[in-house]
Amino acid sequence: MITLYDFELSGNCYKLRLLMSILNLPYEIVPVDFFPGREHKSDWFLRLNPFGQLPVLQDGDLTLSDSGAILAYLASKYDGSGLWFPNDPAIIAEVLRWHAVADDITATSSAARLALGYDYPFDIEKSQKGAHRIFRIMDEHLWFGEKQGRDWLCTPAHPTTADIACFPYVMLSEEGGISRQDYPALRRWTDRVRRIPGFTVMSGIFPAGKALEQA
Amino acid sequence: MPLSLSDPTWYPIASSEDLPFRHVYQGQLLGRELAVWRADDGNVNIWENRCLHRGVRLSIGINEGQELKCQYHGWRYANRSAGCTYIPAHPADAPARRIENRKYPVREAFGLIWSAANDERPFTPFDGAEGKDWFALRPMPVNAEPEDVVAGLARLAPDDQPADLLPGLAVQLGAVLYFVQPIDAARAVIRGLLPERPSDEMTTLRHYNEVLTKLRDRLERAAARKEAPAPLTPLYEKVSADLATMPDIAIPRGNTFNVVVRRKWQNADGVISFELADRDGKHLPTFQPGAHIDVHLPNGLVRQYSLTNGPGDLMSYVIGVKQESASKGGSKVLVESVREGDVLAISEPRNNFPLRRDATRTLLIAGGIGITPLLSMARFLDKSSLPYELHYFVRAGENVAFKSELEVLHGRVDTHIGLAREAIREKVNALLGPYQFANHVYICGPGAMLEMVQEVAAALGWPDDAVHFEYFQNDKVIDSSSSFDIELARSAMTLHVPAGKTILETMREAGLTVPSSCEQGACGTCLTTVMEGEVDHQDVYLNKTEKASHTCMMTCVSRAKSGRLVLDI
Repeated sequence: MITLYDFELSGNCYKLRLLMSILNLPYEIVPVDFFPGREHKSDWFLRLNPFGQLPVLQDGDLTLSDSGAILAYLASKYDGSGLWFPNDPAIIAEVLRWHAVADDITATSSAARLALGYDYPFDIEKSQKGAHRIFRIMDEHLWFGEKQGRDWLCTPAHPTTADIACFPYVMLSEEGGISRQDYPALRRWTDRVRRIPGFTVMSGIFPAGKALEQA
Repeated sequence: MPLSLSDPTWYPIASSEDLPFRHVYQGQLLGRELAVWRADDGNVNIWENRCLHRGVRLSIGINEGQELKCQYHGWRYANRSAGCTYIPAHPADAPARRIENRKYPVREAFGLIWSAANDERPFTPFDGAEGKDWFALRPMPVNAEPEDVVAGLARLAPDDQPADLLPGLAVQLGAVLYFVQPIDAARAVIRGLLPERPSDEMTTLRHYNEVLTKLRDRLERAAARKEAPAPLTPLYEKVSADLATMPDIAIPRGNTFNVVVRRKWQNADGVISFELADRDGKHLPTFQPGAHIDVHLPNGLVRQYSLTNGPGDLMSYVIGVKQESASKGGSKVLVESVREGDVLAISEPRNNFPLRRDATRTLLIAGGIGITPLLSMARFLDKSSLPYELHYFVRAGENVAFKSELEVLHGRVDTHIGLAREAIREKVNALLGPYQFANHVYICGPGAMLEMVQEVAAALGWPDDAVHFEYFQNDKVIDSSSSFDIELARSAMTLHVPAGKTILETMREAGLTVPSSCEQGACGTCLTTVMEGEVDHQDVYLNKTEKASHTCMMTCVSRAKSGRLVLDI
């Protein structure tokens, strides 16, 4: 059985809930009071993950941390289609490149959200600027992707864990005071992610309208 | 020159390709945020980006194809008119037809979506616009003053071929046209157009994107060195009370507007359809599923016809009229003497047969021409992907009207042909089944069928408030022999209603303006609250529970059993 150490309002925990929902994987949740309880810095949690970061996932005897690493693990182990984390050297590199972007989005967009909504002492303006810089590049990448018939962040015709990893803190950016108005292609990509069969929501992330083939 | 909130210039606010299927685009012009969406019929809507209810951005709402649904409390707004069609917190009520969001002018041309802060100026294409296959570049948002962006674009021109500054923050550089969309005092979007589709699209798009990216970076570095102007502060005006609230008195019977009969056709054996459109090609007023209009006929009669339209389908109204061999009065005149091109006076749509959209099961049962309001309901439920079943009872196969409209529905649509009265009863009994929570049935058809369905539903435990019906007419013989007094509580007036005269007539003679439509106790328009007294109900609009409560009545036919009625008028 899979156990997720989870905080409901964490975008990084949501990444795992989202992929497990899409893959239709059953799992148990252990709630961790990240805010205001700071339970992720408690002794029992630090024994699970010395970095003191959510999420942590246990699968049998295995204890894993870091959302991007866990996405790669879950997709490699449980996605029978092999589409979410394709076993191809070039594509693995591409996916991991975007996992790294996802961490940059966490460091900027999520930091701004934590500063505005959770009383964290981060530099709001710097975090917002950093997020805009990433969103500009993503918008350009996705705009040219649409022109070339590529709907997702990576080359395959199917979404990968790269899309899952980058999605939550793009969608939650407004909670950090970061508007997505200037990024129309990024906004359209968020529609496409929200139309993936098995998509699930979290607080602040709403469903999208139907896709052409579903309407 | 500083930007003006009241600048009437048309600016591009998006590329056509920014509005794919069922997307809501977030835009901004001169400080005002916009929710921009394309309906399934291709129409582009540009609305103020806030829900009238709680002010949440409509750009995070759901494009349902012909309606936009607010993400917060689910208010729905119609394509074209931006009129509210449904308020989930009041599922049993039709929202006031006049609740309408603010719209901005819109035009789609040359690969771009154009809008303006107001409609003072008609849209005029830029010089040399016609006859070319314009190709839009990737839009480039820039955090700099729009005028500085125009100047920056002009500086891109080679010395021997200076840029042409065009009206409306536009620059021509060789064959390329650049429009600068003023987002706000210190924000702009560069929207470039090439006069033809390039042979190597990707290389060309990449090239211009690189040029504009470098320009953007230069402009933003320069903007960072000087003091940014204060953002524009558009006044989010309150929507006028007229548009945001229920009118004081429902639209009186005489209040009409003209429409032209665009098409008249034999829809099925015994059913003639009419398509009614605005004479200037504008959209017609918002309506809700189940709504009807009064049609004022050349012979002076007024008849009610249900709209068959789907959501946001406002370019014309389509009604179905029964062609009866022994028809008298209304339908006969429509069928025999009204022709295509004729002008008819109609009322604004009125809904006394509202559709709940919070049901777990919705059953629509139509008999004959009773299909008309139920077709509209089915189309609304269909677009919102809500479950429903439509059962259509007809005498013979050739009587099936609106065939092509029924065929494109995704829900269960069953046509039951030629069943005898008892067989229909058995069928309805099986279809309804025992009542379950949040099940609703809607019935429209001949009087005998309506009574039968109500009886069957009651026997299966369906409560009155889950059984919705609409009669075409009241076949009952009205007994107007009683005489009594009415006390009008709000008007502080007591009137005597003599035998042979209705309450409605008595009130009108006393100078009161009261709404009515069918004036035979079928449509529900003259519904009035009763504060005291026992009502002699003679209508077919109220259900048994409502009638027994003696708290409401239809003043066009019903009277008093007691000597006095106190009405909330």
